[in-house]
Amino acid sequence: MAYVLFTLSVLLVMGFVGFSSKPSPIYGGLALIVSGVVGCVIVLNCGGVYMGLVMFLVYLGGMMVVFGYTTAMAIEEYPETWGSGLEVLGGLLVGLMMEVVLVLWVLSLDETVVVSFSDTGDWVIFEGEGSGLIRGDSIGAGALYDYGRWLVVVAGWTLFVGVYIVIEIVRGN
Amino acid sequence: MTPTHMNIMLAFTISLLGMLTYRSHLVASLLCLEGMMMSLFIMATLIASNTHFPLVNIMPIILLVFAACETAVGLALLISISNTYGLDYVHNLNLLQC
Repeated sequence: MAYVLFTLSVLLVMGFVGFSSKPSPIYGGLALIVSGVVGCVIVLNCGGVYMGLVMFLVYLGGMMVVFGYTTAMAIEEYPETWGSGLEVLGGLLVGLMMEVVLVLWVLSLDETVVVSFSDTGDWVIFEGEGSGLIRGDSIGAGALYDYGRWLVVVAGWTLFVGVYIVIEIVRGN
Repeated sequence: MTPTHMNIMLAFTISLLGMLTYRSHLVASLLCLEGMMMSLFIMATLIASNTHFPLVNIMPIILLVFAACETAVGLALLISISNTYGLDYVHNLNLLQC
């Protein structure tokens, strides 16, 4: 199926409309997780295996879990979903209608775009007596620890200071 | 620019609009901020794959690191608001009366 990447990006936009129409945050978190899964599949389709794995583990497995139980602490008794009340439902329907109209208009333009989405993963390297096969994105991300040594130090220090900031904020004084 | 890139930029814009409008909860705006970071991550990874430039893959990883910091600080503020007022309703934040 040639249009699988385009269909996935349309599903991504629909998921984003789902939490941007502002239902109760627990349902917004659900829509964000679904959008995150669709986004990971988009990244995987373009050959970014390592980046998709990082996104799944760090983003969906770490930050969304933290969002989930923080939202569970600050939730009301009757959370409003997409079907309860005209504001959220109206926002959702307007967003979906906008996306459908835009997709139909773009597909009717019938233009040729010179971007190839295939074979974007592997690199063949020739080293010494033999040849090898590496994935481009994991080698590129590994260069963070080689060319970007100072960036790793700064980011690690930022995370460390961030933990202290969080402790001081939650302590309350 | 392909329709796929247009859709991802549209997702960023929709999250931006969602973050700038308040309904009742504050954590819904933090969720839209997370959506913005995620769409930026996807866009940068697609560009790194399509232009066959592996070193650009450093940028989405560092973006994810700083987005995690930002999420932690935002949630800490949310928890302190929730401890003071009971819920994270936006109309409770009325100390600055202007």
